[in-house]
Amino acid sequence: MTEARRAVPPGTPGAEEATEGPTRRILLVDCDMFFVQVARLEDPAGVGKIPLLVVGGTPDGRGVITSASYEVRGYGVHSGMPTARALRLCPEATVVPVPREACSLRSRAVRDALERLSPIVEPASIDEFYLDLTGTERMFGSETFEETAHRIRERVLAETEISVSLGGGTRKMIAKLAAGRAKPAGVRIVPPGDESDFVRDFDLEDLPGVGPVFLSALREKELRRVEDVLAVEEEWLVRWFGRTRARWLRDRARGLDPTLVQSGTARKSVSSERTFRRDLDDRTELETILLEQVLTVGRTLRQRGLRARTVTVKSRSPDFRTRTASRTLPEAIESDSVLYTVARQLLKELLGRGTPRLRLLGVSASSLADDGAGGQLPLFDHPLVETERDRTLSQLMDVVRERFGGDALLPGRVVESTRHPKDADGEM
Amino acid sequence: MNFTITRQNLHKGLAAVSASIPTKTTLPVLSNILFEATSEGVRMSGTDLDVGVRIQVPADVSLEGSLTAPGKKLQEIARELPDEPVRITTQGDQIELRCGRSHFKLNGLPSEDFPTLPAVSFESGWQATGETLLSLIHHTSFAVSTEESRPILNGVLWELSDGQMRMVATNGHRLAKMTVPAASSSHTTVQFIVPPAALQQVQRLFGKEEEVVVGQEGNHLGFRSGGTEVYTRLIEGSYPNYDQVIPRDNDKWAVVDRKTLESAVRRMAVVASDQTHRIRMSLAKEQMQLNVLTPDLGEGHDEIEVQFEGDDLEIGFNAAYLLEILRYMDTEEVRLGFKAPERAATIEPVSGEGEESGIEYLCLVMPLRLLD
Repeated sequence: MTEARRAVPPGTPGAEEATEGPTRRILLVDCDMFFVQVARLEDPAGVGKIPLLVVGGTPDGRGVITSASYEVRGYGVHSGMPTARALRLCPEATVVPVPREACSLRSRAVRDALERLSPIVEPASIDEFYLDLTGTERMFGSETFEETAHRIRERVLAETEISVSLGGGTRKMIAKLAAGRAKPAGVRIVPPGDESDFVRDFDLEDLPGVGPVFLSALREKELRRVEDVLAVEEEWLVRWFGRTRARWLRDRARGLDPTLVQSGTARKSVSSERTFRRDLDDRTELETILLEQVLTVGRTLRQRGLRARTVTVKSRSPDFRTRTASRTLPEAIESDSVLYTVARQLLKELLGRGTPRLRLLGVSASSLADDGAGGQLPLFDHPLVETERDRTLSQLMDVVRERFGGDALLPGRVVESTRHPKDADGEM
Repeated sequence: MNFTITRQNLHKGLAAVSASIPTKTTLPVLSNILFEATSEGVRMSGTDLDVGVRIQVPADVSLEGSLTAPGKKLQEIARELPDEPVRITTQGDQIELRCGRSHFKLNGLPSEDFPTLPAVSFESGWQATGETLLSLIHHTSFAVSTEESRPILNGVLWELSDGQMRMVATNGHRLAKMTVPAASSSHTTVQFIVPPAALQQVQRLFGKEEEVVVGQEGNHLGFRSGGTEVYTRLIEGSYPNYDQVIPRDNDKWAVVDRKTLESAVRRMAVVASDQTHRIRMSLAKEQMQLNVLTPDLGEGHDEIEVQFEGDDLEIGFNAAYLLEILRYMDTEEVRLGFKAPERAATIEPVSGEGEESGIEYLCLVMPLRLLD
């Protein structure tokens, strides 16, 4: 340990982290009920005038809520909730589909605006962006961090019509938690040194990175609030959760988070998933949907010049149990045919493991590398080994669709299913 | 059970068997070694359910019986015991060791809990010298696949036919094949796909000078020499047609000093991409150039002298594959054969005059596409 690090009193943020360098000024910019805002902006005369608005799912109650207006949230409705349940809680609510394309465009606009305001912008999701303003103190003269945050809020609103809330602090986790407290349309900054006190006030389930599995393990030990963790000897945490998780938890409970804001974080996966209007158990039908999803994923990969080594298929049964199966291949792939061969095997595995009835199916491609990274030629032909022929075929199909439209050239079974739609689109 | 055994024999038996015990298992009895004391001595067995090892060691048995006891602990104890006879007895499910003034009691599990090793008949089996078997395993098993996506490639193909024995292994990108002359037998040609873990045990337990008998029973294979036996489950399925991918029309040949090539490739590998290990090999008269260009890192260049016949060629390779193959070539010089930049290259040893042994060793490596 260096002298500089020893000088930091234990228990304060930075005691366990690389403390060299200036105090960080991190902001999380979170778009207020993003999908609702976009839906309203797209149709100001219609949807724009509905206070009780739910975006996502269908009026007959399938799918899940992507976003709900603050007025509806008052009824206990939140995103991720099945639309049917939301409608039971708030029967007067109006359900509209997600305006996908508009959302991507608005998200891109917000990001562009932020990139003009901050040296480092890391998109965390379609409607959340981390900014690292460390080192910009002098640029803005006497402006405080809080004033900067307000200025960013106003500029984004003026340039994109999107209202955002900002949370700020010395760590990403602090910024994220503060943004939750800033909503709606506000700013909340946690001053350096106050992190530990600020975090103490939260429930453990509020901490970013605490998932349902970890949460139930925590609850088994009667740990619900951040302060509950602080009251337990570290030795016990290690015994209960293992050294890595115990240290992670203790650090977070003390407001420590070593992750940095990284601009232009490379895309980690490409995926497509869908919740069905009715539960499906027909194997052929599921395979056709899987094929359609593979076509979307494959096309996105090729458009971005990427190849994937890992294919994952995700399913959700009517009782909301989510299962995934994935396979990592020796060589990265991009062609629809090999993606589908792998995905189909994985679907078979999933259907063998759980119920054959599904409410959601999805496929994702990850372990991405750019298409120049591969190039190892195979000795043997094999369905799981992509050949030049497979790649060329997929690329040619892209060209045809580019010129004559997305439906111009499709596998026969997909054409059949679009001619006789059975479930149609649900949620991404 | 009650027997007296020399410390050396106890240690020898435990060392042979305990390497087959899984380090992590959900079945506690698999962490144990099965002791079976009979009038002929003591048999010790260990298994991870895929591969099993059994060894018979001399002992003075005064009461026959059997029990399983913790393998690793017994091995550690045997290592530390003084050089005196060890008396081993059982009391219920406990095993007791006495040696000089040392005394241990370890908790065991009943022998009925221990999985039965496959009953392989060796009478109608094949014979191979340890030397042949070990050489085949050494020269091929490195090439097996470790990927889960194609289980069949996780094994070594072993072909036994009249007068010949051959092993082949591949991961779908590079392949190693060795054929050796074998005693003629009345058997028809057979093919087994053997997990490399079993072959490792064979390498570890059998000496060059030993005669090894191999027997098959259903989906299991057994190897036996002296009192030592190795059993394995075979991998099921049909092995890809390797013969079809061996190039017959390569028309560019380079003969090169193996060590010189190996060190040049190793130097280039330093600068090659961590992911692809891509290097570019350019061949022209009397010269091989090796080049690396890795974006964000830098580049490297090397030249070595070769005897080259054929048209000039530029071809890309995964340096790691080349290095691995060169490591298993035993001769001073190796011959590389090429056809085109997208076709399999061959690497084989160049034996001196009059060194014809009837052994054929050939490795294949598929190129990496070059980025221009």
